[in-house]
Amino acid sequence: MSMKRILLPMLVALVPAFAQAEGISGNLVLYTSQPNTDAQQTVDAFKAKHPGINVTFVRDGTPKILAKLSAEFEAGQPQADVLLIADSVTMEGLKKEDRLLAHEKADVSAYPAGTHDPQKFWFATKLITTGIAYNTKATFKPSSWQDLTRPEVKGQLVMPSPLTSGAALIHAATLTGNMDGGWDYYEALKDNDAVAGGGNGDVLKQVAGGQKLYGVIVDYMPIREKAKGAPVEFVFPKEGVSAVSEPVAILKNTKNPDAARAFVDFLLSQEGQELALKQGYIAAHPAVALPAGYPAREQIKVMSFDAAKALADETKNKAAFADIFGQ
Amino acid sequence: MRHRAQSRSFLERGGFGLLALVALLVFAFDVLPALRLLIAALFPGGAFNPDAMLAALSSRSAVKASRATLETAFLSTLLALPLGTLMALVLGITDIRRRRIASFLFVLSVMISPQVIALAFLHLAGPASPILNTLGLAPEAGSANPMLGRGGIILVLGLHHAPLVYVVMSAGLKRIPLAVVEAARIDGARPLGILADHLMPLLRPHLIGAALLAFVAGIGNFGIPALLGAPVNYLTLPVLIYRRLSSFGTGMIGDISALGLLVAAIALVCVATSQFLTRKDAVHLDDDGPLKPFWSLGRARIAAEIFVGLVLAATLLLPILSLTASALVPSYGMPLSWETITLDNFVEVLARQDVTIRAFTNSLLYAGGAALALALLVVPVAYGLVRLMGRWRILAVSLVEIAYVLPGIVLAIACILLFLKPLPLVRVSLYATPWIIVFAYLARFLPVALKPALAGMAQIDVAQEEAAAIDGARLAQRLFGIVLPSLLPAAVAGGLMAFLLAFSELTVSALLWSAGTETIGVVLYNLEEAGLASQASAVAIVIVAVVTVAMLVLDALGKYLPEGALPWQCEPRAEEHVRRHALHAPARAPAVGRLEPKPALS
Repeated sequence: MSMKRILLPMLVALVPAFAQAEGISGNLVLYTSQPNTDAQQTVDAFKAKHPGINVTFVRDGTPKILAKLSAEFEAGQPQADVLLIADSVTMEGLKKEDRLLAHEKADVSAYPAGTHDPQKFWFATKLITTGIAYNTKATFKPSSWQDLTRPEVKGQLVMPSPLTSGAALIHAATLTGNMDGGWDYYEALKDNDAVAGGGNGDVLKQVAGGQKLYGVIVDYMPIREKAKGAPVEFVFPKEGVSAVSEPVAILKNTKNPDAARAFVDFLLSQEGQELALKQGYIAAHPAVALPAGYPAREQIKVMSFDAAKALADETKNKAAFADIFGQ
Repeated sequence: MRHRAQSRSFLERGGFGLLALVALLVFAFDVLPALRLLIAALFPGGAFNPDAMLAALSSRSAVKASRATLETAFLSTLLALPLGTLMALVLGITDIRRRRIASFLFVLSVMISPQVIALAFLHLAGPASPILNTLGLAPEAGSANPMLGRGGIILVLGLHHAPLVYVVMSAGLKRIPLAVVEAARIDGARPLGILADHLMPLLRPHLIGAALLAFVAGIGNFGIPALLGAPVNYLTLPVLIYRRLSSFGTGMIGDISALGLLVAAIALVCVATSQFLTRKDAVHLDDDGPLKPFWSLGRARIAAEIFVGLVLAATLLLPILSLTASALVPSYGMPLSWETITLDNFVEVLARQDVTIRAFTNSLLYAGGAALALALLVVPVAYGLVRLMGRWRILAVSLVEIAYVLPGIVLAIACILLFLKPLPLVRVSLYATPWIIVFAYLARFLPVALKPALAGMAQIDVAQEEAAAIDGARLAQRLFGIVLPSLLPAAVAGGLMAFLLAFSELTVSALLWSAGTETIGVVLYNLEEAGLASQASAVAIVIVAVVTVAMLVLDALGKYLPEGALPWQCEPRAEEHVRRHALHAPARAPAVGRLEPKPALS
């Protein structure tokens, strides 16, 4: 009896030590806006380093991921441990609501200040810009955002909706802040019979498939499809591009903080950043090269945008967009 | 009749456990969700506020979506009604060959879930269509896909719902006594005259009933307008509800419930009217044989057969070809040829991607589990309804139908409202667990699974039970000894039917899935939405294969089933007729006995 009383706590105390010795293990749930194939590759690469961790991922557009997450918060059943979503504005919102867990030991020495949250609640993993794609069969080649309001583009433009895509929401906040007349630019696009449907994947499908000749889209999709032989071309418009950073963060409610931290560490490591390069993204790590098909890092002109305002106006911007494009 | 009434009161004694089970199921699956939805719409935030509901219903997008919903549902009915009726007539009264296989294939096309069919038609046309590209017929780049938008939705809804009309009209035809035709013949009427002057007037209630069902099915459909309308912002109410909830979250659930209530109200009114019309049987078929094919088409037969072939090509063959072509090309938009053909998409979805593999497992588990539970439940429930509930039976059967008649997306909202907050007492939330999906499947498909069992109950001879009861057999013994053996095939068929509909559904799980509980319908939709059209097609092909196999199993079960349990059986079986007479079985059960793939197929 007494032996049992002594032995049992000792055994229990030893269990974590054993687990530590064998590496981190357990389940990890990732909510991400990466396309399925990319998300699977990211998870596979992470699992190769940490075979003990069983990763499940859910993929959807950032606003939809957030809607799902907020319902789960309400149910008291948040499922995700780690978020890898389009933009830092959304992350700032979650940080303000006290949903995130800081990862103080994250090694960010290689990254310039500003790519991550100063309190280390979230970390940028890439640079994803939004520009213009066109089908190579199109005779008119646009070179600026203003070109999209021209008659040659009439009825032929498709763009992602901020109701589905986080990058599209930042894009709308950026463009309305930079173009003369703000939302008038979108009104002009609407007058030019532009349509806004689902996410970036849908835009790629429509432009590559030739259902529309022009699309507003994140850079990596048309650039890597072009490399595979799809009839698309990507343009960095001369006014500049909008950009998101695909940040990663750990949720406060995580049931497996060790695995979650390991996942963040992996994405920020040289190896994780090389994977982003291999997948056709501009990695956040300044020393990692750019994939083929991109101009040099310093030649990409990113338009400025007011993150605090974008956060405050999030619902307003979604509603304004939905109103113009009848969503 | 007097005899039955007496025996009923005699057998009705006891069985409170069974009655409680029926009452509990009806309350949990139908009354509770419907009430919760009403409360959410009328009392947003806890206070009675009909103005908030009216505001939600009169917003610009809601009005636009209501118009789109009514418009597509109405116009698609105009297509489905003549198509389904013609098919029912050609297969039901003419001497066409291969009617059985044609009937099977036609009904199979409605069993394949709408999002699969929508995906197929989407890939059938437009500049990226693999089939058109292979044939060199693709329109030039920049031309719109004609399937996207209003016209495409109407076309696909109409083709997809024609089999619903067919099933109702075939059932109507089978209720007309052969004597009607024989009498007209003696009068010298020609087949066309018999059809126009004698059959069509008798079929009128079914015609209206079928039209209403096709209309409701159009109102509640999610898969088709989601794939064909959403990309061009032509939104119907179910799609608007889905988009609002999935993009803005549960903060808007009050508004969304109001929209849901609107769809539910339209659906309930139409279905109630249709039930009323088809239940009111002017013609009784007690001792007379049912209608048999009487029209020898002669040389015109080949034309009728070509018509049937064309309809089947449009509703089934063409969609499957389109999906196959899209699934076999490496990237959407490429032509299919010996150089480009690849099985990569199948490997990707069946072996490489965890999420699709998990989703197939999940759907098999949830749909299979729900089907198994339903098969076990239907025997006691059918018995309780038929033998123990007396006149309450009509009310109970109508209530059971609620969860099936409600558009799936509305049922999903009701489930979120019920289960988002942790349950009282146990303090566990079902949200984000598989149980919320299984609950919704049980509620939704109970009436589907119940139908064959109800039909079977109508064929069990009361006398046998009475004899057993006189011998002192208790209710449980009678249930196991007499009822269960006769109802077993019907219970299995009901379960399989529920599995068939639940396996690839999207409407319910679109709002209820969570990390790790994705269903195959959700994955298909997400793949398509993410632009991975070829992989979505590969998933669709696998779904079609599973559904076809399940239908074939059901068909093989056919000979053990009560007549009319399978919607595609179009020839009455002679030997069964004899058996029924020998048993003095009660006259054919009212419409509850018939298994109709009704609106909830959306």
